[in-house]
Amino acid sequence: MIELNHVSKMYGNVVGVNDLTLRIPRGAYGLIGPNGSGKTTLINLLIGHFRPTLGSLQVLGTTPTSDRRLLRRIGLCPASDVLYPNVSALEWVRYQVRLHGISRRECKSLAEEALETVGMTSAMHRPMGTYSLGMRQRTKIAQAIAHQPELLILDEPYNGLDPVGRNDMTQLLKQWTRSGRGLIFASHVLQEIESVTASFLLLHGGRILASGTAQEIESILTDTPQEVFIKGRDAAKLIHRLADVDWVDALQLNHGKNELRVSLREPAEFYGRIASWIRDDNLAIDQLQTPDGNIEAVFESILRRHRGETS
Amino acid sequence: MNRLTMPWDVMQFELRRSFTMGRIAMWFALVAFPVAIIATMRGIALASSANKFDPAEFIEPFGFTLYFLVPEVTCLLGLLLWATPAISTEIEGQTWVYLALRRSGRRMVLFGKYLTAVVWTLSASLVSTAVCVWLIGTDVMLRMWCVMSVLAVLSCLAHAAIFLLIGVLFYRRTMVSAVLYTMIVEYGLSFVPALVNKFTINYRLRGLLANWMGWENVRSNAENIFGSEPVSTHLMALSALTIIALGFALYRVEYAEYPTQQEG
Repeated sequence: MIELNHVSKMYGNVVGVNDLTLRIPRGAYGLIGPNGSGKTTLINLLIGHFRPTLGSLQVLGTTPTSDRRLLRRIGLCPASDVLYPNVSALEWVRYQVRLHGISRRECKSLAEEALETVGMTSAMHRPMGTYSLGMRQRTKIAQAIAHQPELLILDEPYNGLDPVGRNDMTQLLKQWTRSGRGLIFASHVLQEIESVTASFLLLHGGRILASGTAQEIESILTDTPQEVFIKGRDAAKLIHRLADVDWVDALQLNHGKNELRVSLREPAEFYGRIASWIRDDNLAIDQLQTPDGNIEAVFESILRRHRGETS
Repeated sequence: MNRLTMPWDVMQFELRRSFTMGRIAMWFALVAFPVAIIATMRGIALASSANKFDPAEFIEPFGFTLYFLVPEVTCLLGLLLWATPAISTEIEGQTWVYLALRRSGRRMVLFGKYLTAVVWTLSASLVSTAVCVWLIGTDVMLRMWCVMSVLAVLSCLAHAAIFLLIGVLFYRRTMVSAVLYTMIVEYGLSFVPALVNKFTINYRLRGLLANWMGWENVRSNAENIFGSEPVSTHLMALSALTIIALGFALYRVEYAEYPTQQEG
């Protein structure tokens, strides 16, 4: 589906993405990374909006910048909001589809169908200036899927959606994936992506830090130095256990003596023993907080591995 | 056929989304501005000549003023508002990425916006011209209306292409660049008695004005301003300027890498 060969993109002296080499088959992938990691640059390269400064890339077997027909096969929902206050969703989506060269009559039916899919039928004749953020987000999704692309690229699609909207969006994306079409889904929230796909690309500083399934990334994390918080009345009693092992770098107990921060060199060893220690010593531990779900902590852990700080 | 009608659809969409009170008020202001000046001039002429006012005696001053007010000022002001920010408004509104993602998005949108700018500005210019000519009320009213209308059409087509090109090239300081171009080139260099004024649109329009109105005396007295070339030369020069500017803008927009949003 996507093939990148040593792709770099520079904005003057600033690196957007740095030497990306990647080959991903058709399927659904989460593109995850903190703000400024290069997600949007990568998306702009995939749609041919930017040319790579170095390297080459192909999307659906075609070079995006040289063959504009490819755009007919891609749908993009950018993170940026739409600001046409006095135009209705139907007018806007129909216009967007029309710009693909699709006939006027077909445009209308495709736009109506897409707006129905995202649950905007009842409001599609109203000016977009009267929409809530969630409704505008749905309309953006509609313009991305209206021309029935093979590959859908979404940049932070959950922005502004309420819990019901999030659930609807998740169902829509799952259905999209089940239909065998491609999906690239950029977010900085791990759980959002995890609810749709198990395959991830982790981007940081313009580089791909890791790729694979959630299990594979978890496996990387367990072999990567990380910090764990142990919370509970007897948290301090674990110190004598942890002080005796050589895979713990540091221990820090808070003033209330109910929270212990443990810096681990070999997390796998810790996870293998902690349950039996708690059971054997009959300790009252309420919570064990790992970096899972905390994107900054995940990236910090993987970055440390990249820097060679892991054994 | 499907692609041929696309600029028309872009124009419809652009006019639809721009149908705001501000834009409508601006349209009426552009129509009213030349009318007010011409009405004032006519009032002064009428007062100074008492009951012996003959519009035919004032045909040249009225004609020059009308030419300056409509094809040069009204058209340029309207186009500054519509053609120049064609790209920058989409970039600032972060909507450019939606258009650039479409197979025919970039060129068709730009060409559609060009047509929109021309149609909107021309409608104000033609209405204004008609009212002004009626106010002047000469016996060559029809001829003057035809000449001024054709000059307004040519002015809109040529200046819109230039402003569109400026908008495509200088998307960050679009208005400043376009105003500088207008002041320096169209209102400055076009009066310079040298080869350089022959490359300006206003020089060609003034030449056509003198030709079509048959003002030979004016031409011979100020050849540097009105030129001595035949009509065909002026028309060819205007066509060439329009096609080159529009063609280059359409070529450039297809390959331009405009910023889309804050990087993520």
